[in-house]
Amino acid sequence: MEFVLEIILNLVGFGVGLLIGIFAHIGFKNTGSPTLFRLTVAFLSISIGFGVVGLGYMGDSFFIHSGKIESGIQTLGIGIQTVGYFFIAFSHGIKSFFPKSRYLKSIVVPLFIIPGNSIEHIIRSISFILLVYGTIETIMSYMENRKTSTIFVASGLGLLALGEFLGWYSIVFPKSVLYVISISTKIVGLGALFVPISKVPLRGMKFGGNI
Amino acid sequence: MAATYRTHMSIIGDILTTTRDEIPDEAGASVTYLIRKANISYGRISKILETLVQQGLLEQTSSYRACKYKISSRGREFLQAYRGFREFAETFGLRI
Repeated sequence: MEFVLEIILNLVGFGVGLLIGIFAHIGFKNTGSPTLFRLTVAFLSISIGFGVVGLGYMGDSFFIHSGKIESGIQTLGIGIQTVGYFFIAFSHGIKSFFPKSRYLKSIVVPLFIIPGNSIEHIIRSISFILLVYGTIETIMSYMENRKTSTIFVASGLGLLALGEFLGWYSIVFPKSVLYVISISTKIVGLGALFVPISKVPLRGMKFGGNI
Repeated sequence: MAATYRTHMSIIGDILTTTRDEIPDEAGASVTYLIRKANISYGRISKILETLVQQGLLEQTSSYRACKYKISSRGREFLQAYRGFREFAETFGLRI
């Protein structure tokens, strides 16, 4: 059950991320806007991250049959997704990711001294913080522009954050229903992200020349 | 009311919108008219107008006393695309 859900989640994540990333890239090529460049990097990273994890699950499902994904592949995929979440948060104007050197040490050093399994949970917690930041900033934007599409994106990011939190929290209750709820929440979150994007006219957007 | 920072792209959007929707006569809009409508300095608008003419988004027409600017068909297409991308960025609570 979890395995099938994981494959669905990662395929949905790969597809949604790729579509939004391509659209942002077309926008960047046409306008040279730094915002669209950051969104391109963000969503292509998210797409690649989901793709890596998805390939890991499918590889095991079709060839290895061990019943679990290689933890290194899972960590790599989640790490690439976190880069994407960072760029979404960064687009909203994070002034400095590592404000002081002691914070840098507290974040980077543990990555080198704790076992591989914990790295995944640290990355999940970083993703959670970035997604919460992105959600709050998007809600603030909604307060200004009152666009329904913005509240969809805020809900999507919020559900992804909740999914990451539940996934991370499931370490306390392994093999419980928490992990399935986490994956389902993330699938709904990705769906919510895609709803407003699907309404933006994608046709007739080809345009040459960067101004 | 809080001042809103306008990005380079939004200024270009404003100029193109003005040359499409609000030109005072058939010959196009003068620099002075565009400065007033887009609310930017002469130095800055001159560079932007030069780029827009080079890119084929604006047409420069000679008038009795000064150059005037009209939106080209390519400019209209660009403006339509720009609005789509702006809508896309605003969905994320961002500005292009």
